[in-house]
Amino acid sequence: MKTRIAIRRALGLGGIAAATVVASTVFARPPFTEEELAAQMDSLYEVIQVGYDLWHGSEPKMTSNGLACANCHPDTAASNPQTFPKYMTMYGKVVPWQEMVNWCIENPQLGERFDPQSDEMTAMKAYAMYLHRGLPIEPGLASEQTAAVPVAFGTGFKREPTGLGVDTREYVPERR
Amino acid sequence: MSEVNQKRRDFLAFSGKAGVATLVAQAAGINLGIVDVVKAEAGGKVDPFRFAIISDAHLYSMDDHKFDQQLIDAVNKVNNMNPMPDFVLFGGDVAQNGTEDQLVKGQKILSELKMPMKIIPGEHDWYLDMGEAWRGLFGDETWSFDHKGVHFIGLNSILVEDFWTPAGLSPKERMTVMEMLESPIPGPWGVHEKQLEWLAKDVKDLAPSTPIVIFTHSPLWDYYPRWNFQTSDAPEIREILSKFDNVMSYHGHVHQTLYNRIGNMSSVAAMSTSWPWPYPPVELAYPETRMNRADPSIATDGQGVQLIDLSESFEGLVQYKPFEDSLTPFMQDGFKV
Repeated sequence: MKTRIAIRRALGLGGIAAATVVASTVFARPPFTEEELAAQMDSLYEVIQVGYDLWHGSEPKMTSNGLACANCHPDTAASNPQTFPKYMTMYGKVVPWQEMVNWCIENPQLGERFDPQSDEMTAMKAYAMYLHRGLPIEPGLASEQTAAVPVAFGTGFKREPTGLGVDTREYVPERR
Repeated sequence: MSEVNQKRRDFLAFSGKAGVATLVAQAAGINLGIVDVVKAEAGGKVDPFRFAIISDAHLYSMDDHKFDQQLIDAVNKVNNMNPMPDFVLFGGDVAQNGTEDQLVKGQKILSELKMPMKIIPGEHDWYLDMGEAWRGLFGDETWSFDHKGVHFIGLNSILVEDFWTPAGLSPKERMTVMEMLESPIPGPWGVHEKQLEWLAKDVKDLAPSTPIVIFTHSPLWDYYPRWNFQTSDAPEIREILSKFDNVMSYHGHVHQTLYNRIGNMSSVAAMSTSWPWPYPPVELAYPETRMNRADPSIATDGQGVQLIDLSESFEGLVQYKPFEDSLTPFMQDGFKV
């Protein structure tokens, strides 16, 4: 009796698996073409480069004292995106990486925060994640500095220079 | 004895012994080679004294910027040292954007020092007007002087090949490029041929036993070229100074505590008074000389000044004097070079 039940169950599972394979073959989206993949990566690189610009001060509202993210975090070093979400003492709770960026914008930089879901924040996260590609994800690691991947001299993002923050001779936003 | 203390003891013993060890100094994946670490007996007698280093103020133009106060705090810290240093070396980057108002503000704050100051430029001071305002305020950027038996040398190490004329950049655009630490546009910094010739001439008649201190903005070894944590003609500088028994190199730019040694030259970095930089992703020969990871919620963590006591035999005790509790136990009492 027990043997018969076991056989029936096995046949049942096998049937489901077989049906799944057939359905996948019939209904799954075909793999992306090389052209489609290239277009997707182009979109990603464009967003990464927007993030690079923002990190280096292209958006004046991010600062009122001239400081940009890149002052303290060249090549996004020690921004540690692979360690978030994690507990941050300044919040007293676990926060995502975007919130830490907003903390830096509002405190060391005395600027205006972004919506964490905004395109700007997505761009900065894409830039930081790109420079931490391949590093292990370690949520909560906080006591040690982590570094971005090494970047060879003379490579990187040949964008128009945006400077670090604003030139305070010409742009002095209202103090908070 | 804790592991940290044991490492510290080993390090002090290592750095204090004469010509008994070799090391492989590695940076950015570049093997700098196996070199003899020769801590020679300095034949030249030194009348013991101390000097301080302040570096990388990065002053902005707006009034009451937090970096103004941090430089004032550094000046006060040095003025209150007991005994007082004989003089102060400033390691470059008084200004952030190289404007005259920023340089004048820096000069005014630094004029409150109770002892003389010598200064070399950083890239943030220089590339708006190619050093015109800086020279008007601080004098020549290449200098040497003798003090109590030690020969001090200052060089301008932030010179780059002309990238702005072919590109048709304005002075402000040129400065903006140079403000970005990781910009791939300017190329590697160096002291260039004229200063190399000057250096060779300056030391030509000095005896090998002469104690030498050389002061630059960027380190005289390949630490992390991506961020110009290097000086492209450092090998030529080290070659010119290779005849000396012992050379101490002190530098700014890297905004962190750090020690290295290549051949007869020890190299010590300065903390900044503005912000700390993370350690780049390279292996260090002396990782124990790193400071703690700075806490961003403490605005002046990872920043401070330096004090160096030179002994009769030209041994240096390097003490970092941070604004906050930024040093590991290994570094808290200083280390000998």
